[in-house]
Amino acid sequence: MNNPAKILVLIPCYNEEANIITTVDNLRRTCPGVDYLVINDCSTDQSATLLRQHGCAYLDLPVNLGIGGGMQCGYLYARNHGYDVAVQMDGDGQHDPAYLETVLEPVLAGQLDLCIGSRFIKKEGFQTSFMRRVGIRFLSGLIFLLCGHRVLDVTSGFRAANARLIHYFADHYAIDYPEPEATLAACLNGFRVGEAPVIMKERQGGVSSISSFKSAYYMIKVSLSLIIDRLSIPRLPRRPGSKKGSAQ
Amino acid sequence: MTPQFQAFMFLGALLLLITIFLLLKKGMMTIKYSLLWLGLAIALVVFAAFPYVVFVLRDLLDIQMPVNLVFFLMFCFVLVVLLSLSIAISQLAEKCKRLTQANALLEQRVRRLEEEKRG
Repeated sequence: MNNPAKILVLIPCYNEEANIITTVDNLRRTCPGVDYLVINDCSTDQSATLLRQHGCAYLDLPVNLGIGGGMQCGYLYARNHGYDVAVQMDGDGQHDPAYLETVLEPVLAGQLDLCIGSRFIKKEGFQTSFMRRVGIRFLSGLIFLLCGHRVLDVTSGFRAANARLIHYFADHYAIDYPEPEATLAACLNGFRVGEAPVIMKERQGGVSSISSFKSAYYMIKVSLSLIIDRLSIPRLPRRPGSKKGSAQ
Repeated sequence: MTPQFQAFMFLGALLLLITIFLLLKKGMMTIKYSLLWLGLAIALVVFAAFPYVVFVLRDLLDIQMPVNLVFFLMFCFVLVVLLSLSIAISQLAEKCKRLTQANALLEQRVRRLEEEKRG
């Protein structure tokens, strides 16, 4: 990728010793031109040791903050180092670096401020379990209701944000399961949000951070925080030249 | 209110007041968080020393037993304290998060500088 823009890939990592090195190696091989930063959220397994041994670029959080606090730390880093685009990519091997360009392209072209890699546009690859799809559909509907903008894969952690949004996320980012909230906040603050079709894989090893036991709690909490966001963020008009729907 | 209860309340309130002052003196509680408790302790002392205040309030709210009014007010007060604690915890969590992030960014910077120095 010979692009003059400074690009940083943020990879959150919590107890991902089984996948993290493969993910980083994959990324380095596929996209040698981009910088990356693993955010080790105080993993209790060997993740930190592995990252150090392999000489990876990583942040080591001294206490566990949860995915939101960790990602925000990544956005702070991106802001401090003047990156033009920050891309979030999961550390569990679900997101294929081959699609990095697909997700990046609308942001680099200036069409979108936030581009979400969506597995539901082309409906190919791993589509997650039925219950989760129902949950994602519900959150997607709720976000549409709250801001009038349709985003299909609201929980996707594969997303590219431009410099303006990096600045915004560095100051405001939800704490626990932040993807839907970040999406809504970006929409409500007048950022142009869209999706690009990607194919996701099933996680390559380890366990997901969202267990089925917690999902009811998760749904209630996310729904509530979305509604609170809608009430607390004054709605700004979307910038002219905004593109509705997905950027294909 | 029976005189026994009144005396008990007075002593209890006094004990609370002294405890708060001791905590403040030893620096185990900041003024900010002590204000609410001081308010409660003083109100209780006033109630115990001058039951007339309670009787007036009882008549105003038309409550049968004056002692119920005291319980009710204390319960309301405890709710306020709990709410204020939740607010304080949320603020602390936010500060803690920011500190953790700053720490992680600094740690990475130091690590990079050390690596550069080592060559």
